[in-house]
Amino acid sequence: MKKKVEVLAPAGNLPSLRAAVDNGADAVYFGFRNATNARNFEGLNFSLEDAKAGISYAHRHGVKANVVLNTFPQADDPTLWFRTVDETAALGADAIIMANLALLDYCHRQHPQLPIHLSVQASASNAPAINFYQRHFGIARVILPRVLTVAEIRALKTRSDVDLEVFAFGGLCVMAEGRCYLSSFATGVSPNIEGVCSPARAVRFENDGDRLTTRLGNIMIAQYGPGEEAAYPTICKGRFEANDHVYHVMEEPGSLNILEMLPDVIESGVVSLKIEGRQRTKSYVATVTRVLRQAVDSYYDNPQTFQPKGKWIKELNATSEGATHTLGTYEQRWQ
Amino acid sequence: MRVSLGPCQFDWGKHALKDFYLKMAFETAVDILYIGEIVCSKRQSLTPEELLDLARQLEPSGKEIVFSTLGLVMNAAEEDLLYRLAAAAATGGWWLEANDMGGIAVGEGRPMVAGPHITTYNPETIAFLRRVGVKRVVFPIELSASSMAQIIRRLTAEEMEMEVFAYGKLPLTFSARCYTARAFRYSKANCQFKCGDHADGMVMRTQDGTDFLTINGTQTMSYRRYNLIDVTDQLAAMGIGVVRLSPQSQGMKEIIQVWLDRLQGLLSGVEALRRLTELNGGEPFCNGYFFGRPGHDFFVNDNDRI
Repeated sequence: MKKKVEVLAPAGNLPSLRAAVDNGADAVYFGFRNATNARNFEGLNFSLEDAKAGISYAHRHGVKANVVLNTFPQADDPTLWFRTVDETAALGADAIIMANLALLDYCHRQHPQLPIHLSVQASASNAPAINFYQRHFGIARVILPRVLTVAEIRALKTRSDVDLEVFAFGGLCVMAEGRCYLSSFATGVSPNIEGVCSPARAVRFENDGDRLTTRLGNIMIAQYGPGEEAAYPTICKGRFEANDHVYHVMEEPGSLNILEMLPDVIESGVVSLKIEGRQRTKSYVATVTRVLRQAVDSYYDNPQTFQPKGKWIKELNATSEGATHTLGTYEQRWQ
Repeated sequence: MRVSLGPCQFDWGKHALKDFYLKMAFETAVDILYIGEIVCSKRQSLTPEELLDLARQLEPSGKEIVFSTLGLVMNAAEEDLLYRLAAAAATGGWWLEANDMGGIAVGEGRPMVAGPHITTYNPETIAFLRRVGVKRVVFPIELSASSMAQIIRRLTAEEMEMEVFAYGKLPLTFSARCYTARAFRYSKANCQFKCGDHADGMVMRTQDGTDFLTINGTQTMSYRRYNLIDVTDQLAAMGIGVVRLSPQSQGMKEIIQVWLDRLQGLLSGVEALRRLTELNGGEPFCNGYFFGRPGHDFFVNDNDRI
C-alpha cells in the first residue's frame, strides 16, 4: 500500500501543539519567539524550553516535529539565525524549515544529519530551482508557494524527485511568498526581515458613523458599510478601486480549502498537506487538524468514492474569516 | 557609478520593445541594457531567439547587454524559456540576470546578475551567490540605505558589484493570478492581452482616493515612481556601482539625461529632482524604503513625509 499523505499542523504555542497531536496530526511545525520565524506575532511561538517539551510530546505520540526558521538574517547581526540553526539541530527536531541561501548552506555543512525542508518563503516554484536547492543543500522537501495549479504540481513531480509539501487549508497568500513587498510598502516593516506581514501595530480600525475603515500604516485598505464584516487589513485582501470599480482587486478575504480537490491533490504525488495558521487559536488547530485527518482517512478508505462531507466544510468554514473558502490557485480558473 | 536601464516590465509588443531598446542603445549614454520579459510568459514580447538577434543589433552601441529572466517560473513551458534564454545569452557571452532561483540554476557557473527578485539580504548570501557565478547583485527593493551600507561594509573578502533600483515604478510582487485580466473580468487563460492597452500599467486606488499601486498583469508595482536622484552622493559613498532606471513609455531619454547630468555633477540633487518631477507630470515620487520607512512615502530629507 502507498504511504499515506501526511497531515501537518501548525502550532503557535504548546497547547496548540498538543491539540494538533491529540487530533491526529502526523507532524507539527512551529517556530521560535523571535525574528527568525515568519509568524513573529506578539504573544506567540516557542522558547527553547517550549520547543524541547513540544518535540518530546510529539515524539511520545509518534508525531514528527518540524522547526521553522524562515526569515532572512539581517546584515547587522545574523548570529541569532545561525545560533538558532545549531539549537534546532541539538533539539532533535525532525526537520528544519528554511529559506535563506546562507542558512541553508550553513546548516547543510554543519548539520548534515538534520533534514532540510525548503520554506515556502524561498518561493521555489519550478524544477530547476528546486533541484538547485537539492544539489547544493540536499533538501529533503520543498514547501510549494501558492502559485501552482494541481496539474502543474503533478507535472513538476516528473521533473524533480524532491518531496513536495502543499498548503491544504488556511490563510491564502496570493503572491510569490518571500518576495512580496506589499506589506513593507505600506508599513516600512519587512515580513522577510522581521517575520510579520501586516503587523498589528500598523493596523487601525476606525469607526465613522455606520462606516468602518481599516488601515495598514497610512493606507486605507477597505471601507465597510453597515452590516458588512470587516476583514483584517492585508493589502492582498483589501478593497480598492481599479478600472472604475471598487472590489477586492487581488482576492476576497476567506480561506484556502482543498477538500473539494483532495483526491486530485493527493494523487498529484505530494507527501504532505500543510495547515496554515501558527497565529491561530488552539481550537482552530484542533478543529482543522481533526477534519483534515478524517478527510484524508476517508479518502484512503475508498479513493474512488471520496466526497467531502458537508459537516466538514461547515466546520472548516466556521474557522475562517468571512466564512468563505476557495481552491485558490490549485484550480486553473482562479488565475 | 554606472547607469543601467532595467528590463521593461510592461507589455509593449515586439516592435515597440525593439524600437525602444535600439533607441536607448544608440541615442542615450546608459552603460548597461537589461533585455527580456520578466513578468508574463503569455505576453507577445521578444522570444529568447529574437532577443539574441536584438542583442546583436545592440552590440555596436558598446553597451553592456544582460538577458533578464522571468520573475516567477511556474511550469515546464516557462522552464523551457529559461533554458533558451540562458543559451541565447551564452551564445554571445552575455550575462544572465536571474529574477527567480530557477534563473540562478540554469545560469550556474556562468556570469550572472542576481536581480532584485532574488532575496539577497546579507553578505553570507552574496558569498554563496558568488560561488555559483553571480558577478553583480541588485539589492532587494525594500532595503534601507543603512541595511545596504552594512551589507557592503561586511563584504570584505567578496568581490561583488552592487546595483540599486533607483528610478521607476517599484516591482513589489508577482502572483499566479493576473490582476489586469481580473479587472476586466477575464481569466488569465483568456486574458485578451489587456496588458497591451496599459503601457505603464493600471492604477489601483484606495477608497479614499490615493493612487497606491500599479496593476501590471501578474505583477503589482508601486503607483508612484521610486526616485533616488537626490541621494546619489550617498549611494556613491556607500559603494553602489550601478543605479538602475526602469523603463517607462514616455520621456525615458530625457529621464536618463537628467540622471547622467546629475552623476556628472552638472545638476544639483535639488535641481535634478525638480527636472524629474516636471517629467513626471508633477506627480509625487516615493523613496521611503531608502530611509527605512514605508515604501510609498517620499522624504525630501529623512523627516518630511509627502
